[in-house]
Amino acid sequence: MSDLLAILSQGAASLAAQRAALATASHNLQNANTPGYARQRAVLATTIPADRSGTAFIGRGAVLQGVTQSRDRFLEAQIPSLLGSAARSSSQSAALASISALDPEAAGGVGEALSRFWSAMRSASQNPADPGLRQSVVAAARTLGLAFQGTRGSIESARTGVDAQLTGATQEVNDLASQVAQLNGQIRADRAGGGEPNDLLDARQKAVDRLAELTGVTPVATSEGDVSLFLPGGSALVSGLQASSLSTTADPANGGHLLLKLVGPGGSAQALTGLGGELGGAIDARDGGLKAAVTGLDDLAFGLANTVNASHRAGFGLDGTTTLDLFTVGAQAGAASRLDVSAVVLADPRKLAAASSLATPTSAASGDAGNLRALLGLETTAVSGGLDATGALAKLTSDLGLAASHAEAVSSQDAALRDNLTSMRESVSGVSIDEELIEMQKAQRAFEAISKVIATSSALFDTLLALK
Amino acid sequence: MRVTDRMLYDRATRDGGAARVRLERAVGVASTGARLIHPGDDPAGAGMVTRHLAAASRADAVAGVAAQASDELAAADGALDAVTSALARAREIAMQFGSAGHDAPARATAAAEVGSLLDTMVAALNTKVGNRYLFAGMNDGAPPFTAAGAYLGDARERQVEVAPGVWQAASLRADVAFTAASGGVDVFATLATLRAALAANDQAGAAATLTSLAASTDQVATLRGQAGIAMSAFDTAVTVNQRAGDDARSLSAHLTDADAIQANTELALAQRALEASLTATSKSFKLTLLDYLK
Repeated sequence: MSDLLAILSQGAASLAAQRAALATASHNLQNANTPGYARQRAVLATTIPADRSGTAFIGRGAVLQGVTQSRDRFLEAQIPSLLGSAARSSSQSAALASISALDPEAAGGVGEALSRFWSAMRSASQNPADPGLRQSVVAAARTLGLAFQGTRGSIESARTGVDAQLTGATQEVNDLASQVAQLNGQIRADRAGGGEPNDLLDARQKAVDRLAELTGVTPVATSEGDVSLFLPGGSALVSGLQASSLSTTADPANGGHLLLKLVGPGGSAQALTGLGGELGGAIDARDGGLKAAVTGLDDLAFGLANTVNASHRAGFGLDGTTTLDLFTVGAQAGAASRLDVSAVVLADPRKLAAASSLATPTSAASGDAGNLRALLGLETTAVSGGLDATGALAKLTSDLGLAASHAEAVSSQDAALRDNLTSMRESVSGVSIDEELIEMQKAQRAFEAISKVIATSSALFDTLLALK
Repeated sequence: MRVTDRMLYDRATRDGGAARVRLERAVGVASTGARLIHPGDDPAGAGMVTRHLAAASRADAVAGVAAQASDELAAADGALDAVTSALARAREIAMQFGSAGHDAPARATAAAEVGSLLDTMVAALNTKVGNRYLFAGMNDGAPPFTAAGAYLGDARERQVEVAPGVWQAASLRADVAFTAASGGVDVFATLATLRAALAANDQAGAAATLTSLAASTDQVATLRGQAGIAMSAFDTAVTVNQRAGDDARSLSAHLTDADAIQANTELALAQRALEASLTATSKSFKLTLLDYLK
């Protein structure tokens, strides 16, 4: 009689175990598309036999021993680094590819404006007293200035866009870092209670992955079961239960663009350099290829304007004026944003110093184009970095192209490595619907069979109770 | 290797996306005919395109000013042709009325004709193209010759670029051809002498101008020869620079333009690749136990 009761109670325990297996398969299926989810397995174990029949132990059914996760620590240790690298190169590539101002055939670009400037001067050199031709030189010079301003503005705008990206991403980083610190605490508490909080582990892993994408953090597991996160350079973003935060501040040394700072739990702040991930890639583009292009444009505008001005000052206008600059440009830093035609010449093209000598009388229209010839000679004179204006512009274009091309190649390579590794992780940790359906079938069949055992035991009871 | 459903979806997303990117690029190249748009497409080529386009623009500008200089010289040659005709007529008059058999009224009439020839020559040499006098040197502000034939221009020569950094004189030295400044004959003074001799019925005086008139004709012929040489130089410059511009544009196009056959082949391949990717994806999605369990 007691054996029959034991079978009934064992059946109930085994039913619970199968129901847990079914629930786990169901949980897996429901999270088949959840990012960061690692499939779980209900681990069933045979209950240790306690009854003996003679020398034989009689089994006591199955129990749920635990629910585990399928994870490959070797793969997962590599993933944050690859996520950070891929995000960094992708972000850098996207920022550099977005610049079209230096496209070699772009209409209204510096190259076209430069050619028009020399062409206008060449036409005027044939008939320098012609007011229309003088006006066209001044107009072409103004167009050149506007082209420099527009091109620089376009690149600067992309750099400012990176600042906006930093501001938005900083908030996300801070939220995620707080989440990881909180999850460390919850996981620690749950483990102290004896369980393995699989879903919390998934949530933490997901947050760590995203932080790796954003900043290139390196996760380090601690003996308490926490995950601490270290930024490239070694500063801790999350240390156990404490999270630091990122903040932005304008950097006067970098044209007012944003500087990232790490603010520790105690409030101390330190400037961050060498960041990885999306933020690092965006900063690389902003302060690398894009800044080089802006600086190159400034150098070119400054060199060109001063070289032209030096020659222009030596010539004479139709009205006899001399020692006038053609361009206003200011200091070297930011020169491309200020390049314009001198207001005096703009207002009166007769002051364009086309002649190399003073006309006599000064009111006479002079066909002297000696100074225009000297100015045209500047077309092949080194104005920036030992190169003439066209050469310097070609170098700028090539340099930006090289930076963009290199970033794209690295991005493709990093993406392939990331995809390969995440695919391998998915192979280990991902949910297979086929497998889970089979697991469900297994659990269902076992459940039915155990139910049959219970029904049979119940029938045996009925038989016994029906004895007269 | 264990294959999960998400791996299939990820692969479909990744590979399908890559196939679509390839197709989009192929469509872009085939529809625009350009293979180099962003400097990153071909960094070295982008720099070279910048240089080629600048060289093309420069050659076009040089060809433009050379063509204009040639046109102006053609106009100057037309003026000199009128001067040559006038001098020829003056020589005829000097020869005719420097001989016996003409009375004073006839010579007075001839003197009036010489005066008319003088006016014609002054008008021809004061030819203006645009705002510029062709025979004034660089003094564009006033006609180079007064009604009496005095020269008001200067002795400077206008220079026009015929090749990058190479300059060619494009103005004619009227001071050399028409005044005695460089040791030649003063053409207008010679004609004035002839007119005065004819008005005074001075047969010998009229005949005496023949030598100077011959020298004048030679001086003008020399100037026309110089104009012809300069025109030829400018015409050559036009041809050479137009060809240089075409060559530079061709080099640029070689770097930027897509090969039509290659572009369309790539387009077809990209379309097929996308079709194949979509087909494979749809088949892989169908093979699941879910469809067989009742």
